[in-house]
Amino acid sequence: MDALLLRSVQNYVLDTFGEARWKDICDAAGQPGPTFEPMLRYPPGLADRIAETAAEVLGRPVHAIWEDVGTYLVTSPAHEGVRRLLRFGGVSFSDFLHSLEELPGRARLALPDLDPPEILLSEVGPDRFELRCRSKLKGMPRVLAGMLMAMADDYGALCLIEAGKDEVVTISVLDSRHSRARAFDLAFPGR
Amino acid sequence: MRRDLTGARLKIDSITLARFMPMHLLLGADGCAQSVGPTLAQVLQDKARLGTPFEEMFEVRSPGGAVTVHEVLERAGHRFRLWTRTERRCGLRGHGQSLPWDGRILLNLTFVDPVGAVRDHGLTDADFAATDMATEVLFLAEATSAVTRELKGLNLRLEGARIAAEEEAMTDPLTGLRNRRAVDLILDRLCAARSNFGLMHMDLDHFKAVNDTLGHAAGDFVLERVGRILRDQLRSEDCAARIGGDEFVLIVAGRSEAATLKAIANRIIARVGEPMEFAGHAIRVSASIGIVRSANCPSAEAAQVSAAADRALYAAKHAGRGRAVLAD
Repeated sequence: MDALLLRSVQNYVLDTFGEARWKDICDAAGQPGPTFEPMLRYPPGLADRIAETAAEVLGRPVHAIWEDVGTYLVTSPAHEGVRRLLRFGGVSFSDFLHSLEELPGRARLALPDLDPPEILLSEVGPDRFELRCRSKLKGMPRVLAGMLMAMADDYGALCLIEAGKDEVVTISVLDSRHSRARAFDLAFPGR
Repeated sequence: MRRDLTGARLKIDSITLARFMPMHLLLGADGCAQSVGPTLAQVLQDKARLGTPFEEMFEVRSPGGAVTVHEVLERAGHRFRLWTRTERRCGLRGHGQSLPWDGRILLNLTFVDPVGAVRDHGLTDADFAATDMATEVLFLAEATSAVTRELKGLNLRLEGARIAAEEEAMTDPLTGLRNRRAVDLILDRLCAARSNFGLMHMDLDHFKAVNDTLGHAAGDFVLERVGRILRDQLRSEDCAARIGGDEFVLIVAGRSEAATLKAIANRIIARVGEPMEFAGHAIRVSASIGIVRSANCPSAEAAQVSAAADRALYAAKHAGRGRAVLAD
């Protein structure tokens, strides 16, 4: 998981702030090179450390960086695959929310040694949810929150999503058909 | 568990049946369609009409030789495979049985290739029962292809890094010329292939004096300058290497005429002999070159060719420096 998030932070910073800032971050973090390989292994905790360095260099709070990375993963056209995999969760945003508990299991089917976060979703009231995320990565709840914000847009739902303390993300669905959902075809467009 | 279950017999209307089993096919005792699940209907297209006999809708792939639904059930009701008789053939697997109370036949089918079926028939989530693993399969197919793509990318990047590292291991960092390792490899290869080539061993005259009087920076400057001259004078298929302090080896590929090699060597000597200027100091060095031709080395072993070039260089130095000597 560290490797995937490191690569995500790398792509997010490169696409949003440019190569020079990314190099500054890697230098400040004492990294030997500017590239993280998503399929290799990195020491646990490195992803959080790089994000903290990125926060210092970019002058933004680290939680905002993680949320932006989550949103970036879903919305960036280069990562269309991530959006598609999440959309397999269901036909509506609430279907999708409920499917999040299944997501780690599905992810492990494809990458058995992934070590994804543990996700628990509770329905705490009508259209109100609490998502608990347990992960070795400190930034993980924020990444999920950022992804959820982007996925709500994707489904055309108007939501209030907040990541609070204790790895809990609260979700209030204000209008599940606020706007038109983005099209999703089960068949992979590339084939 | 065996007990009389007739009391637990269910009455199910076709809408409920369609919801639970969107790929079912209910046939009369005559083997003609009475109800077609909505997803199966989408796949069967115009063949999905009620009253159509089973064998007009499907070609049976297994059990082999079966044609009618009765033959299928008799031999392999627990698991059979079909092809739809539609323009775009769709592979299905299923099981079925005749209902004991009225002799009608219920089949439930599934896609052999859900990825292809979804693509060919534009199916959506709503076309699959919630318990169907089809979306898991689709998810997995995409996730795996994403992982494979990443791994391919990783392989390419690692290959690039390997080539760069290999290149670096063959390069003299100061001059950008090849190094001794590269010369050994190239020479071995040329000798093993019995190729035609010319080998020159070159050494700078008065280089030590430059180092001693003007310092190492001046020495490095001279070496870089000579490196550039050698690159200019040789073709890309040739090899110019620095194999030690002020020692160079040149391999001229495909040429072993004495005149050509001597001309190249003399050109290099002339260029190296031109005055250089470093930090306001005029520097003059010269070069001595020993030449050996592959044609003159019948044994064609790298070590012997090198030794012959060495001897020629020694002769050149002995004969007064700033000249080229051909070993013949």
